[in-house]
Amino acid sequence: MANIQSISSSFKTELMNSFHSFGVSNTRGSSVADTFKAALFLSSATLNAATTAYSTTGEVIGTGYTAGGVIAASSAPALDGTTAHWTPAANFSWTTVTLSTPFDAVQIYNSSQANRSVGVYTFGSQMVTAGNFTLTMPVDDGTTGLLRLE
Amino acid sequence: MKIQTKIGMIERSELTVVDTVTEEDNARVTATEWTYKNELVRRDVNVNILRALSISGEQESI
Repeated sequence: MANIQSISSSFKTELMNSFHSFGVSNTRGSSVADTFKAALFLSSATLNAATTAYSTTGEVIGTGYTAGGVIAASSAPALDGTTAHWTPAANFSWTTVTLSTPFDAVQIYNSSQANRSVGVYTFGSQMVTAGNFTLTMPVDDGTTGLLRLE
Repeated sequence: MKIQTKIGMIERSELTVVDTVTEEDNARVTATEWTYKNELVRRDVNVNILRALSISGEQESI
């Protein structure tokens, strides 16, 4: 039983089927980018590349935490050389929360498209007591961007 | 200045604060632990993800 960092396999085919739109230049009949969210998962959860969608199963429960997580600040995908990349425009943060059961993963998913999964990031087991939890975003470029298509 | 903790607001001067930085397999984690009379009353965590996710495209020759 463990969370495994991975891009959801379903996400790869869904990219080809235009399920996801990180930017506004899409051709799905709308110029509105999808809403992506970030949710935290317990160390005992089993998220991995086979995870196709967000579910509350295994999600953290605690004071100050709302199921479903937080919205990823909108950011347009960009190209750096031959690598497409996307990183939310702001850090993921939860303020004044108590998460007493160890958690070690964040799932990014598309709440505009039936909560389809983008991927899972792991970071080592943590707990928070009446404090803040922040996931600091990396520099958004072709080398360190949070999501890259190389 | 008072700090919010699990047992209420406590004067900063009465709290002991320790920052711990750990390197996980995929992240650098900074935990800030606030103790009051040897009791953990607040814990903040900041995670810097070190390795993002990438999809590598491959193209077969026709």
